[in-house]
Amino acid sequence: MMRTIQLAVVALLALGAPAMAQDIKVGTIFPLSGGAGPDGQTVTNAVKLMVDEINAKGGLLGRKLVVVSKDDESTPAVGVSRANEMIAEKADVVIEGWNSPVTLAMQPILARAGVLDITAVSKSDLILSGESNPYAIRINSSNGFDAEVIAKYVVNTLKAKKIAFLTQNDVYGNGFQSAVEAEFKKLNFSGQIVTTEKFAFKDTDFRVQLTNLKTANPDAIIVTNSSNSSGLPAMVEQYRQADIKSTFVGAVGIMLTTVFKVAGDANNGIISADIYFWDLPPFNGIAESNAFAAAFKKAYGADPDKSAALGAAAVQVWASAVQATKSLDRKTVADAIRGKTIKGTVFGDATFLPNGQLQPRYVVFKVVDGKNAKLEALPQN
Amino acid sequence: MTAIGQGRPASGPALRATVFVVLAVIGLFLPRLLGGTSVAYSTLTTIAIFAVMCYGIDIVLSYLGEVSLGHTLFWAIGGYTAANLSVKYGLNGWSTALATIALCVVAAGFLGAVTLRTREFVFSLVTYAAAVVGYEIAFNWDAIGGSDGIVGISALKLPFGVATFSGATQEDLWPVALALLLLTLIFIARFRRSRLGTAALMVQMNPALAASLGIDPRKIRLAVFVLSAPITGLAGWLYAYQRAYVGPDMFETYFLVLMLTSVVLVGRRVLVGPLIGTALLIAQQNLFSLGGDWNKIILGAVLALVLIFWPAGLIGLFRNFRKAKLSPQEKPQE
Repeated sequence: MMRTIQLAVVALLALGAPAMAQDIKVGTIFPLSGGAGPDGQTVTNAVKLMVDEINAKGGLLGRKLVVVSKDDESTPAVGVSRANEMIAEKADVVIEGWNSPVTLAMQPILARAGVLDITAVSKSDLILSGESNPYAIRINSSNGFDAEVIAKYVVNTLKAKKIAFLTQNDVYGNGFQSAVEAEFKKLNFSGQIVTTEKFAFKDTDFRVQLTNLKTANPDAIIVTNSSNSSGLPAMVEQYRQADIKSTFVGAVGIMLTTVFKVAGDANNGIISADIYFWDLPPFNGIAESNAFAAAFKKAYGADPDKSAALGAAAVQVWASAVQATKSLDRKTVADAIRGKTIKGTVFGDATFLPNGQLQPRYVVFKVVDGKNAKLEALPQN
Repeated sequence: MTAIGQGRPASGPALRATVFVVLAVIGLFLPRLLGGTSVAYSTLTTIAIFAVMCYGIDIVLSYLGEVSLGHTLFWAIGGYTAANLSVKYGLNGWSTALATIALCVVAAGFLGAVTLRTREFVFSLVTYAAAVVGYEIAFNWDAIGGSDGIVGISALKLPFGVATFSGATQEDLWPVALALLLLTLIFIARFRRSRLGTAALMVQMNPALAASLGIDPRKIRLAVFVLSAPITGLAGWLYAYQRAYVGPDMFETYFLVLMLTSVVLVGRRVLVGPLIGTALLIAQQNLFSLGGDWNKIILGAVLALVLIFWPAGLIGLFRNFRKAKLSPQEKPQE
């Protein structure tokens, strides 16, 4: 009986094999349903677009690429199942990760099976700790870099002397604040932190904190708020109503389309930073980025945002390393990325630190027309 | 495996033990029979772990007739205990398992005592509140992992005197998961026949009779609830080693819905019910997935349909079907 089953399985595999042996499998695991579904679809779409472009140019190592995309449902337990499926389908690389817990749960599974794993978006510092995956690679910026660009801008460019924090009271908010404070020390910041006001992720009423901030009257207020569909727009509105004169400096990556949609022109004057805008310098001067933006618009009828760029860059970086090493081996390819510079990505020349973190380039911007989400890039020094 | 549970008294302990051993051996090689792929191993290991998780809530639901919405708390206690003690203090699997049992008993003792006088809706609500509190603590307390959780959980080590079992891959962990499942099945089978099990059922079905026999319903409720916690807890304990990562997601409704659906799907008070329910649900999610949103819609619809039309579960449906097929004269008297 068992022999019969085994024979049947072998026969089935043999039938399927010739068609597949030629193709290189690029796996993606992102949320495709639920609240984060649209974001995960954007990243997946960008990956597919890049893969199509590589195929149009003759593929990789003379072989065609195919994308296998799966939905982690923003649930770590589901992500683990999807990672196991990728292993069974013999994916040559898996590009994954919108939520940090999902990435952290999938990492050991993929690593133990020897599958190359590139994290596109998830930001937790633990991802690069090397404990679960000694060959981790991440495209999105880390909290450390994010804190550095904000601290530098506030201290060196704004030349703020009195600084306040309006901090989301959780690992994200408190972690970002302490990273910024550490950067202040490095910059020999001579001013003072006049006050720190805290709130919970789910809060939508910030009037008490804002009244205290108004009394303290700092030059700049550094804000963390990851609730970009309800909490942050409410905060921006109330900030304007309170008529606070201090500069509102948003942490990296919080000023998303939803904030502009809800709070409109109340956003005007806010300063923040992010790692990709297709229409702002330096990215509008990068040929690969312009080509990608045009292709993305043509294929999906929308401008590519940061998430799209992260997905595209992940494919470009991996494909370049595969081409250079003529290998699909996890360690060989990872070694060609970690600590190396890969030319010709949507981010320009992409330099990776030895721990696998892509060194980001930031655009510091000011909101000039919140209603139309129009931003102006600011010079950094 | 049904044979163990239905435990035909006539068959005798020797025969029962033989059947059990044979089934255990078949179970051990089941992933190989299914092709021996990593997916076969990981799916079966996951089913075994999740089934054990469900058995905890099963005895509360089946024997107390109460819906606990707080069992994710015990599931998470198992995961967090294994993760913290093995990563920070390098303790082996036996120690983390013992700690899991102890912590679950303490937590369930407290929660059970607090909810002693609550019934039905209020009981569900209070147990749910306990899980929410647990989630907030796990999410915000950096010392036990915080919102990022704990990574780098090493292989499960179980020293047996001279030799030490060490398992990290799904293949290694399958025998452990199977052993945990079989032990749970034996435990539940014994519980069903025990004085506590019958007393619990009597308290639920016929409180007047129970009272006349001098059974204190509060003692029974507390005992069953405390007994249920370490079962779900030990599943969480093994899950931590299987996944090598523990985070606040262990409190997610994903697990709670899985537990409740697995139990009611096949039918309450059926020994292998939760196991079959879990297997069906995980197989649907992994092998016949229709995408995240559709899976949830199907899961919700199945749960609603079963509860509305066949409150006794698939077993009830099967019984109705058989009854209908019997010719009128054969029909049992009702």
